[in-house]
Amino acid sequence: MNTPADCKAILANISAYLDGELDSTACEAIDRHCQACPTCAALVNGLRDTIGLCREAASLPLPESVRQRAQDSVRHLLNRELRKG
Amino acid sequence: MRAQEAAYRFSLLVCGHPEDAEDVMQDALLKTYQHVTRIRQPEAFRTWLYTTVRHACLMKRRRHVGEPKEFVSLEHGVKGTDGTLPLEVADRARPADQQLIDEWMDGRLRAALKQLPPSYRMLVVMREMEGLSTKEVATITGLSEANVKTRLHRARLALREQLEDR
Repeated sequence: MNTPADCKAILANISAYLDGELDSTACEAIDRHCQACPTCAALVNGLRDTIGLCREAASLPLPESVRQRAQDSVRHLLNRELRKG
Repeated sequence: MRAQEAAYRFSLLVCGHPEDAEDVMQDALLKTYQHVTRIRQPEAFRTWLYTTVRHACLMKRRRHVGEPKEFVSLEHGVKGTDGTLPLEVADRARPADQQLIDEWMDGRLRAALKQLPPSYRMLVVMREMEGLSTKEVATITGLSEANVKTRLHRARLALREQLEDR
């Protein structure tokens, strides 16, 4: 039977769990807890989705014209610095 | 990824505004250009770059805190004959760029990120979006690795909460 103390321990360890930093015993304990506790299961899934959303967004390249303009502004800046010596 | 693109992406995700991001990128790259010969280990370059961009973002934010929310045009900010005082709010965004950037990233995520305290937003961007390690983030922020992990955990929870509200 899960207690609020179990849930608190899960909450403290979710990030380490999702980052693969826990040993297999600790991971299994979290898996078992989540099977019996829908609140913690929802939290784990919610955080997993949040991280996934961030990583997915980060994998998209910048729009070409935005990237090009940023590149031009850097080129302009560095040319100015080179001229200054 | 090239340094300038990394710097621009990071600034854009943290500042949220293309023109601010461009200023930040220029500041950071100029400093990097001036100091690059002092960086002895190639692997130190990444942390140097992000440290510099982070600092430039913080400085930009500090300058914005002192700025008025609205700018009064010199031409139009004078009381007219009809007694009205029209206000012109300065719009520094390049609309085309802003629109492209709005479409670039999931609008819900962008809005949720904006609601996070800046220190949390930077952690999420560095760790989840730029793929920096906990050790690198610790070096960049001057926090201990344990502290980075604790704060990142709180930042993730806060971001999830924001996403759920949308």
